[in-house]
Amino acid sequence: MRGDSFSVSIENLPDSPMGSRKKKMKIRKVFDKMTEWVTPWRSNFESPRERMIMRGDVEQDEFQYASSHCLSSYYSVFVARLAIMVMLAILIGLLTVLTWHFTRVYTKQSLQTLAYGLRYELLQRPVLRMWSVLNTTSELTTAQVKLSEYVIKKYDKPTTQEELVEMYQAMKDVTWALFASAKALNAITINYRNGFVQAFHRDPASSSTFYIFSDLKNYSISGTGPGDVSGWNNQSIHGNMSAIWYQQQLDPITGEKLGKPLKIPPDDLINIAGISQVPDGEASWHVTVSKYMDSPLLSAALPVFDASNKSIVAVVGVTTALYSVGQLMRDLVEVHGGHIYLTSQEGYLLATSTNGPLLTNTSNGPKLMKATDSEEWAIKAGAQWLEKTYGSNRPHVVHAENVKLGDQQYYIDSFYLNLKRLPIVGVVIIPRKFIMGKVDERAFKTLVILISASVCIFIIGCVCILILTNGVSKEMKLRAELIRQLDARRRAEASSNYKSQFLANMSHELRTPMAAVIGLLDILISDDCLSNEQYATVTQIRKCSTALLRLLNNILDLSKVESGKLVLEEAEFDLGRELEGLVDMFSVQCINHNVETVLDLSDDMPALVRGDSARLVQIFANLISNSIKFTTTGHIILRGWCENMNSLHDEMSLTVDRKKPWAPMKTKMVQHRSHFQKSFKNTNKMVLWFEVDDTGCGIDPSKWDSVFESFEQADPSTTRTHGGTGLGLCIVRNLVNKMGGEIKVVQKNGLGTLMRLYLILSIPDTADQNIQPDFSKYGLVVLLSMYGSTARMITSKWLRKHGIATVEASDWNELTHIIRDLFETGSGDKSFDSQHNIADPLRAEPSNIKEIENPVFVIVVDIGVLDLTTDIWKEQLNYLDRFSSKAKFAWLLKHDTSNTVKTELRRKGHVMMVNKPLYKAKMIQILEAVIKNRKRSLSSGLRNRGNISDESHDCLEIDPTQFDTCSSDDSSETSGEKQVDKSVKPSTLQSPVLKNYLIDATNSKGDSTSASMTQKNPEEEDWKDRLYSGIALDGKNLKSLEGIRILLAEDTPVLQRVATIMLEKMGATVTAVGDGQQAVDSLNYRSINAQAPTEEHKSSEEETAPWSSLRHSSPYDLILMDCQMPKVDGYEATKAIRKAEIGTELHIPIVALTAHAMSSDEAKCLEVGMDAYLTKPIDRKLMVSTILSLTKPSLSQTSSSS
Amino acid sequence: MNTIVVAQLQRQFQDYMVSLYQQGYLDNQFTELRKLQDEGSPDFVAEVVSLFFDDCAKLINDMSISLERPDHVDFKQVDSGVHQLKGSSSSVGARRVKNVCIAFKECCDVQNREGCLRCLQQVDYEYKMLKTKLQDLFNLEQQILQAGGTIPQVDIN
Repeated sequence: MRGDSFSVSIENLPDSPMGSRKKKMKIRKVFDKMTEWVTPWRSNFESPRERMIMRGDVEQDEFQYASSHCLSSYYSVFVARLAIMVMLAILIGLLTVLTWHFTRVYTKQSLQTLAYGLRYELLQRPVLRMWSVLNTTSELTTAQVKLSEYVIKKYDKPTTQEELVEMYQAMKDVTWALFASAKALNAITINYRNGFVQAFHRDPASSSTFYIFSDLKNYSISGTGPGDVSGWNNQSIHGNMSAIWYQQQLDPITGEKLGKPLKIPPDDLINIAGISQVPDGEASWHVTVSKYMDSPLLSAALPVFDASNKSIVAVVGVTTALYSVGQLMRDLVEVHGGHIYLTSQEGYLLATSTNGPLLTNTSNGPKLMKATDSEEWAIKAGAQWLEKTYGSNRPHVVHAENVKLGDQQYYIDSFYLNLKRLPIVGVVIIPRKFIMGKVDERAFKTLVILISASVCIFIIGCVCILILTNGVSKEMKLRAELIRQLDARRRAEASSNYKSQFLANMSHELRTPMAAVIGLLDILISDDCLSNEQYATVTQIRKCSTALLRLLNNILDLSKVESGKLVLEEAEFDLGRELEGLVDMFSVQCINHNVETVLDLSDDMPALVRGDSARLVQIFANLISNSIKFTTTGHIILRGWCENMNSLHDEMSLTVDRKKPWAPMKTKMVQHRSHFQKSFKNTNKMVLWFEVDDTGCGIDPSKWDSVFESFEQADPSTTRTHGGTGLGLCIVRNLVNKMGGEIKVVQKNGLGTLMRLYLILSIPDTADQNIQPDFSKYGLVVLLSMYGSTARMITSKWLRKHGIATVEASDWNELTHIIRDLFETGSGDKSFDSQHNIADPLRAEPSNIKEIENPVFVIVVDIGVLDLTTDIWKEQLNYLDRFSSKAKFAWLLKHDTSNTVKTELRRKGHVMMVNKPLYKAKMIQILEAVIKNRKRSLSSGLRNRGNISDESHDCLEIDPTQFDTCSSDDSSETSGEKQVDKSVKPSTLQSPVLKNYLIDATNSKGDSTSASMTQKNPEEEDWKDRLYSGIALDGKNLKSLEGIRILLAEDTPVLQRVATIMLEKMGATVTAVGDGQQAVDSLNYRSINAQAPTEEHKSSEEETAPWSSLRHSSPYDLILMDCQMPKVDGYEATKAIRKAEIGTELHIPIVALTAHAMSSDEAKCLEVGMDAYLTKPIDRKLMVSTILSLTKPSLSQTSSSS
Repeated sequence: MNTIVVAQLQRQFQDYMVSLYQQGYLDNQFTELRKLQDEGSPDFVAEVVSLFFDDCAKLINDMSISLERPDHVDFKQVDSGVHQLKGSSSSVGARRVKNVCIAFKECCDVQNREGCLRCLQQVDYEYKMLKTKLQDLFNLEQQILQAGGTIPQVDIN
C-alpha cells in the first residue's frame, strides 16, 4: 500500500527520471493503442472499397442492360461517394471518441482508486497518532492515579505536617518518575484535596522542565474533611490568591533541582485539573490551551480515591500536547501536498498540517479556533465548503471530488473518528492537480492528437474515396462509351448485312425481268418491220438495258462475295486462251481509243489450270476495262508469270528486282506457304502473278488502298466523265482474295497505274503442259512491222528468246528499207547504215541474218502500217507482193479492217491473217503454219512449185465465234465468255497446244484445223436441241425421257420406288440397284476396256468418232447415284467407274442424288467425277432437264454420226 | 343416294387431305407422289408409303439399339440411319418426320445422346401418327372407290 502510493506519487513527479521513462512507455502504449485502433480501422476502410467495387460491378451489369441510365448512375455514384464519406466520418469519429473515452476512463478510474487510498491513508495516520496520543495520555493518567492511590493509602490520614510533607515528597518522586518516563507528556498535575498542588511541566519552547507547587503554609491537613466535596473547586485555587505558587526548574533528565524556586503568578499556572473536572469520579477529557503552547493541549483528569474508596483525595491531570500530530501531518503533507486538519466535533481545530496558529489570542488568553476561522486559506475554504454543503448533520465519511475552492479543484475527504468523550473529525484537502494533473494534461494531449489524427485520416480517406470513385466512374463512363460503340457497330453491321442481303435479293429479282426485257428487245431488233428511227431507239434501249443488267450483275456478285455465298468453281481451263480471248475483246475497244493492248504471258505459265475461269476472266475484264476507261493513249499490258510454290525462295532471289515493291506481300506469302503446303499437299499449287499496266491518268498513292472499297473511286469527278459505280475493283479484290491471292496498286515508273496481283491456282496433274515448239532449228527470220512499239518489243523479245532472228520496223519506210536490205543484196550494208538511223540492236540484226543458212523469212505486217486512208495501200501491197516468193507474209488486221482490204489481200495470195493484237499464241500459230507450209513444199519437192499457189487459197481468219463475242456484245462479257468457253472446250481438251485462231475458209482441206468447224455444227444443233427440250418440258411432255436407259443406284426402297416410277412415267428404262458395288458391276466395264484401246487408237485422228462406237457398248445412258449407300457409297462407286473409264473415251454421265443441300457437297460430287447434282426430294422438272442436258448431246451425236 | 354418299366421302377426303397438309404432316412431295399414281400402278402411293413405314420401323429399331448403350454410341451408324430416314421421308413428303430428322441429324452431329433419344422418340411418334393418318386416308379412298366414286384431285395451294 505504501509502496504503491509511492510509485504513484513518484510517477506524478514531473522531474523524476523514472517518471520520464514511464512517460515514454505510456506514450508508446498510447501509440500502440492507436495503431491497434488504426489497423482495424484500416480493414474497415478496405471493406467500403470492396463494397464499392461490388457496387461498381452491379452497376456495370446495369450498364450492360440499360446503357441509357448512364446519367442517373453517374449521379448515383456521386451519392454513393458522399454516403461513403459520411460513413467514414462517422466511423472515424466514433473510433476517436471511444479511444479517448476508454483510455481516459481506465486511467482515471485506476488513479481515482489510488487517490482514494492515498487520501484514506493520509487521514488515517494522523488519526491513528491522535489515537495513540490519547491512549498514552489515558494510560499515564491511570498509572498516575494508581500510584497516587498507593502512596496515599500508605500515608493514610497523615496527621502530622511531616507525614504530609513526606507523603507529598513521595508523591513528587513517584510523579517525577512517571513524568520523566513519558516524554510526550506536557504536564502532570496532582491537586490535593487540601488545595495543595504538585505539577510537573515541560515547556517545549525552552525545552526546560519545571516543578510547580503551591505553598504548603496555607494548607492544613485537616482542612477539609473527607467527603466534603464542595471544598473542591477551582475558585479555591484561582480565587485563593493568597496561595503562593512556585516554579522550580529541574534537570529534564535527572530531576535535580536547578536554581531556586521562583514565585510565579497564578496566571502563569498551567492548567491544573481540579475536582470540578471529575464530578462523577470518572476520567474526563478535554482540550485546553496554554499560554506557553501555541497548539491545543489534550488533557485528561482522573480522581484519586482514598483507601476506603469513598472520597476523592486528589485529582490527577495529565496534559499532552497535540503538537506531534500536527508534526506528522506536516510531514505527510510535505510529501503529498495538500492540507490535513483535525477538528473536534464542534469544529475546533486540533491539528493542521500547516504552521499556522491554531489558537486565537483573545484578551482572556489563547482560545481554540474554529476551522472555518483558520488563517490558512485552504483549510478555511474547505471547512466552509463542508459547512455549506453538509451543514450540521455531516455524514461520518465524506469523499468529495472536484470541489472548486477558489480557482482550483480539490479532493475533500472527511472522516469522523468517534472517540469516547472526544469525537474527532479529520479532513484532507488535496488539490486535484496533485493527483490528476498529469492525467488531465495527458488526456488533453491525447484528445488533441486523436482528433488531429482522425481529421487527417478522414481527409486522406475522402481523397482516397474520391480517387477511387473517380477511377470507377471514369471506367464506367468508358464502359458505357464502349457499349454504345459496340451497339452502334452491331447496328451498323446489321444494317450493312441487311443492305447486302437486300441488294442481293433485289438485284436477283431485278435480273429476271431485265433478262426478259433484253430478250424481247432482241426479238424486236431482229424484226424487219421496224423503221430506222424505231430501230435506233430499240438499239438504244437494248444498250441501256445491258448496262443496267451489268450493274445488277456487279451488285449481285459483290453481295454474293461479301455474304460468302460465292463458291468458286473448280474446273480445268486454259488460262492462256481465256486471257487471249479477253485481250482480243478489249483490243477492239482499245483500237478505237488508240491504245495498244498487249498480252505478255511468260512461257512457264501453265496452259491448263484448275479454278473458276469465269471469275478469273471477270477479274481481268474488270481491271482492263478500268484501265481502258482512264487510258487515252499508250498501252495496256497484261503481264503474267508464274511461280511454283515449292520454288518460291529461288524465285524470290531471282526476281527480286522485278517484285521489289511486293516484298511485304511476298514475305506474307512465305509465311502462308507452309499453311498452303499443308492444306494442299497433294495438289500442285501455283502462284500466278499478273500485272495490269496502263498509261492512263494514274491513281493518287493515298487512294491506293481505298480504290478497292465498294462505291469508292479514286476521283469522284470521274463518275461524270467515265461513269461507273466503283464496284468493279471491289469485286476484283474480293474475287482475288477468294482465290487465295491479293491485289495491290504498285509504284510505277512513269505515267499510269500498275495493278499487281497474285492468285493461287492448282494445276492439273497432267505432265508437261508447256509444250513449246522449238522454232530455232528452222532458221526463221521474222520481220515485225508494227506501229505499236510496246507489242512489237514484247513480241520480238519473245522471238529472240526462242532463237528466232527478229527485225523490227515501226513504219512503212523502215519496213521497205529493211526488206530492201534483206532481199536486194546489191545495196549492201553500208548504204543501209548510212541511210537509216536505226538503233544498234536493229542494225546488228541484218548482219546476223545474213549468216543464217537458208533462212525462212516471215514478215508480220500490221495493216496499220499501210496507208489506208488513200489508195496508196494498194501500191504498197504490190510492192510487198514482189517479195512474196522470198518471204511469208502474215497480216495483222484490225477488227474494222474493211472487206476490200481483206479481199485484196486474199487475192494477192496472202493467206495468213490474224486480228490484232498479236500475242504469243497467235505468233506460234503463224510460225507453225509457216513451218508446215515449208515442210510440205519441201516434201512435195520442187517438181510442183505451183502447189504453193494452190495452197494460197487457204484463207485464215479469226475464229468467228470469238469474233462475234468480242464485237457484238462487250457488255455481257461474262456470259459471252462462258459461252465461248463451252463451245471451245472440246477442242481445247483434245489439243492443248494447237488452237485454232486460223480458220480454213474453204473447208475442203482435211487439215487439222478443219475439225473445229465440223465439230461446231453439231454443237450448235445440240444447243438448239437443249433449248427445245426445255420448252418441251414446260409443255408437260411426259415422255421426254423416251428411250433413255438409266441405272438407278439407291438403297432406300422408298426413294428407289419413287424415282423408278417417276422416270418410267417419262419413258425412261430404269434399272434399280441397291448399292454402289452393284452399280459398278452392272456397268460391266471390263469387257469394254478390252476393246477400247484399239478403238481409241483408230479414232485418234477424229474426235467425234469414238463416242458413237463406244456409247453403244455401255448398257446405260446415265446413272443416278445416291451418295450415301451401304457398302460402296456413291462417291466411291463414281470413282471406281471413272477409274474404269480411264484409257477409254467412255464417259457415262453420273448424276448425284443426295439429301445434302450444301454447295460443298456439290463440289465433292463434282470432284469425284460426277456430272450433275440433284437434291432430294427429287424435283421432277429439274431432274428431267438435267438428264436431258447430259444425255441428249450424245444421243444427238449418235444420230448425227449414224 | 349413292352419289350423295360419294360426294360426302369425297368432300371428307378433300378436307382430310387439306388438314393433313395444313397440319404439316405432308408436303408437296406427296402430291407429286400421288400424281405418279395412275391406272398402271393403282396402289403406287400405298405401296411406297408402306415401304416407307417399314423402312421407318426398321431404321428406328436399328437406331434405338445403337442409342441404347449409354457409354458407347455409334453415332456414325445413327447418322447414316437418320440420313436415310431423312431422304426417304422427304421423298414421300412426310414433312413432320423430315423436320424431326433434321433436328435429329443436328443432335447426331454434336453427338448429343440425350437429344438423339428425344428425337428418336419424336420420330417414332411422328411416323406412327402419320401412319394412322394415312391409314385413315387410304380407308377413305377405299370407301370412295367402293362407293363407285373417283378420288378427287386435291389442290393444295
